[in-house]
Amino acid sequence: MVFSSIPFLFFFLPFCLILYYAVPYKANNPYVWKNVVLLLFSLIFYAWGEPVYILLMFFATAVDYCNGRLMERFGSTKGRRRFFLICSVAINLSVLAFFKYADFLIATLNGLFSLSIKPLGLGLPVGISFFTFQTMSYSIDLYRKQVPMEKSYLNYLTYVSMFPQLVAGPIVRYSVVNEELRERLIKKEEVEEGLLRFMQGLFKKVLIANQAGALWEEIRQLEMGQASVATAWLGAAAFTLQLYFDFSAYSDMAIGMGRMLGFHFPENFNYPLSSVSVTDFWRRWHISLSTWFRDYVYIPLGGNRKGVARHLRNMLVVWFLTGLWHGASWNFVLWGLYYGVLLALEKYVWGKALNALPKVCRHLYAILIVVVGFVIFVFDDMGALGNYFRAMAGCAGNRLWGEECLWYLRNYKAVLAAAAVLAFPVYPWVKKKTEALGDKGRAAVSLLSMFGYLLLFAVTTAFLVNDTYNPFLYFRF
Amino acid sequence: MEKRVCGASTNWECAKICAEMGLKMENERTLEKYIRGLTAGMLGGMVVALAIGFFFMEKREFSENENRYLAKLPSFGLEKVQSGEYMKDLETYLADHFPFRDFFMGMKTKAETSVGKKEVNGIYMAEEGYLIEKYEKPENTEKIGRILKDFAGELEGQDVELRLMLVPTAVYVYEDKLPDYAPVRNQMETADRIYKSSGILPIDCSGDLMEHKEEGELYYKTDHHWTTFGAYIGYQAYCREMGLDAVPIEEMDARIVTEDFCGTVYSKAGDYGREGDAITVYTNPADCLTVEYKDTGEITDSLYNLEYVEAKDKYSLFLDNLHPLIEITNETAVSDRELVLVKDSYANSMVPFLVHHYKKIYVFDTRYYKQGVSEFIREHKNVSDVLVLYNMNTLDGDLGIRGVY
Repeated sequence: MVFSSIPFLFFFLPFCLILYYAVPYKANNPYVWKNVVLLLFSLIFYAWGEPVYILLMFFATAVDYCNGRLMERFGSTKGRRRFFLICSVAINLSVLAFFKYADFLIATLNGLFSLSIKPLGLGLPVGISFFTFQTMSYSIDLYRKQVPMEKSYLNYLTYVSMFPQLVAGPIVRYSVVNEELRERLIKKEEVEEGLLRFMQGLFKKVLIANQAGALWEEIRQLEMGQASVATAWLGAAAFTLQLYFDFSAYSDMAIGMGRMLGFHFPENFNYPLSSVSVTDFWRRWHISLSTWFRDYVYIPLGGNRKGVARHLRNMLVVWFLTGLWHGASWNFVLWGLYYGVLLALEKYVWGKALNALPKVCRHLYAILIVVVGFVIFVFDDMGALGNYFRAMAGCAGNRLWGEECLWYLRNYKAVLAAAAVLAFPVYPWVKKKTEALGDKGRAAVSLLSMFGYLLLFAVTTAFLVNDTYNPFLYFRF
Repeated sequence: MEKRVCGASTNWECAKICAEMGLKMENERTLEKYIRGLTAGMLGGMVVALAIGFFFMEKREFSENENRYLAKLPSFGLEKVQSGEYMKDLETYLADHFPFRDFFMGMKTKAETSVGKKEVNGIYMAEEGYLIEKYEKPENTEKIGRILKDFAGELEGQDVELRLMLVPTAVYVYEDKLPDYAPVRNQMETADRIYKSSGILPIDCSGDLMEHKEEGELYYKTDHHWTTFGAYIGYQAYCREMGLDAVPIEEMDARIVTEDFCGTVYSKAGDYGREGDAITVYTNPADCLTVEYKDTGEITDSLYNLEYVEAKDKYSLFLDNLHPLIEITNETAVSDRELVLVKDSYANSMVPFLVHHYKKIYVFDTRYYKQGVSEFIREHKNVSDVLVLYNMNTLDGDLGIRGVY
C-alpha cells in the first residue's frame, strides 16, 4: 500500500488511528494493547502487497530477538558476545543477499564467464533493505551494550514492522525508540502536529514529486539523439526533484504518523538540494542511512584515524556498499563510488579551495554533481545511461535548445517553480519570521495556513481520485 | 527504577497518568495553537467524513462523464488475496466509487489548467475550444503492415478492387490549433509506412481534409471522431480515387439531431462544463435502404439509431454503435457493385454517403467478427470492392485490424 493512495489515506490510516486511541491502557503493561493494534495493522499493511513475505519478516525478527536473549544469557565474555553478533549479522546479510542480490550476482557471473545459470526470479520483499538494517542495529548496539535487551517479542516485532517507516524509512534504530515502545505520551498537540506533518508530506508527494516524475517520464521516452541539450538537462533536473520530493515526502509522512502514534523518529532530510558541497549533501540526504553506515561500518573500520591510505579504503568500502544498498545493479554501485571518489577529492584535493569560492558557485557545484549523480542512479542500462549523458553533453550533434523544451517548461512551470523554491529551507525561514511576530500576527499566519492546508488537501484528493501516475520509487531498496 | 517520561514510578501509576494526560490533555493554548489544532481537526474530519461518505453514498454502475462502467466490488478469494489481485481490484473499486468523484475529477483538471498546463490526461487544450487527443508514439506499425499484406494476399486471384484508407485525426489536420510548442508526431508518415509495407493501393484523404478545413468543422471539439462534414470530405476523396461521382452535399437532407454531444475526449480531459458539439446527419432522399444487423437480426430502414441522442455516447447513433457485421442494401443504388467495408467507428459516419453507390455494403468490425473477412469475400462472388478504413489514432493501440483475416 502506498501512503499517497485512497485505501491508505481514507480507510487504513483512520481505522488504525481510531482503534489505536480507543484501546485502553493496561494496568501492569500500559501500552501493550496499543502495540498490539499497531502490530496488527502493520502486518496487514505489509501483507497488502506481498502476503507471502510476511513470514520472512517473522523469521528475521525472531532471529534477532532470540539472538539478543542468547547474547544476554550466555554472553559473559566479549568473545561469546561477538559470536552471537556474527550470527545475527550473517543471517541478516544472507537474507538480504538471497532475496535482493542473488539474481544480480547470477547475471554478473553469467556475463563474466558466459555461463547460463537460471535467475531465481524472486520478487523483492518490500522494505527488506530497511528492516534488515534496523534489526542489525539492534544486535550491534546490544553487543556494544548501548541498548538494553528487548524482553518482549511483541515489542520487538512492533518496532521492526511499524508501518509508518517500514517500506521507505527513515531507518529507525532500536536505540531511538526502545523507551517509547514501552511508554510514550500521546498528547493531543503532538497528534495534531503529526497530522499536519503527514499532510505536508502527502502534498509534496502528490502535487510535486508525482508531477515532476510525469515530466521525467515524458522526457526519458524521447529519442535521445534528437532531444536538445536543454531538454536532457531539464529531464535530469526533473528526476532529481522527483526523487528528492518523493523520498523526503515519505519521511515526512513517516515522521508525522510516528508523532500521531507517540513516537519520535529521526529527521531524514535537511534540504539536501541546497547543499554547498558534496560532503554537505551527504550530511543532508537520507541521513538515517549515511549515519548507519558511518556508525556501523566506517568508524569500526577505523574511519579517518589510521592514515590517509586506510581512510581512502574505508571511504571506498562505505560508498561501494551505500551504492549497492540502493539496488541490485551496477549503476547503483557506480553511483556510490562516484560519491566516494568525489568525497575523497573534496577532503584531500579541492575542499579548501572550494570553501574560498562565493556561495553561489558552491551551490552550483554541488547541485551539478547531484544532478549528474542521479542520472547514473536512474538508468540501470549502461547503454541508455551513455546515450543520456551524450545528449546532456551535446555529443550526438544535439541542438542546444528545442521547442519541445519550451513545451515542457510551459506545462510544468508551476510545479518546477514550486519545487525549486521548496527545495530550499523556505518553510523554516517563514516559521522563524512568524515566531518573531506578535500573538495576533502569528494567529493570522496560522489562519492563512489553515486555508492553504484545506485547499491543498482538496486538490491532493482530486489528484488521488484521478490517479494516473503514482509510482512507488523505493521498491528496489 | 527506570525514569519515566510522565514522572510516574510504577506501571500502574503511569497508565493512569497517561490516560489522563494523553489525548485529553488540554493546555492553555494561544490563538495560534488553537487554529493549528483546528486545522488538523478539520483535515482529519474531512478524511473521516469522506470515508463514511463512501460507505453510505449510493454506488453508481456507470459514469456518464467518463463514459465507462465503474469497477464492481471484487469477490473475495484466498487465491486472489495471495496473488495480490484482490487488493488491486479493491483499490480500483475504492477510487471508482469515491464520494464526489466527478467533482474531484473536474477539480484535478481545473487545478492543472489554472497553472498553465496545456495537456491534461493526453489531451491538448487547443484553440477555439478544441480538445485534441495526442498522437502517441506508434508501436505496431510493422505488425499492422504485415497483417494488411497478408490480408491482401488472401484476396489475390479474386476480382475485387482493394483499397486502404488511413484517416488522420484532428491532431494532424488541426495542428495549427494546438497550443504553442506542442510536440507533434506526423501521423501520415506512419500511414505512408503502412501503405508501403501492406502493398495495398492507398486512398489518402489527408490533403483533402487540409484543403477544406476552413469550410466547416471537420472534427468534433469534444470527441475523437470526424464530423459528418469531415466524413463527407473523406467520401469525396474516395470517389475521386475510385472514379465515382460524389453526390453534392447540397442534394442531401441535413438535420441537426443534437447540440450537446460531449464525447470521449471531453471525458478524458475532465474539463467539465465545456459546451457540447452539434451532430448533423445526412440522408439522401433518393436512397431506399434496408439495414440488417446480422448479430441481432434487427432490420431497419435507417442508418441512424436516434435513441442514442438521449444517451451520453451520442456518436453511437451512427450504425447503432458496435456490430460485427451489418448488411446494407440500397434498392436504388446507382450501380450493382457490392462493397466490403472493413473499418473502425470512423467509417460509421461515412457509410451514409457511400450507400448511394453500392447495391450492397457489408460492414465489418473486425474486433468482433471472427469468421474471417477474406473467407466471406471468397464466398460472396458479387463483392466487387473492398475498402479498409481506419483512423490513425486508434489504429495502433486498438489492433482490431488483427481480426481482418
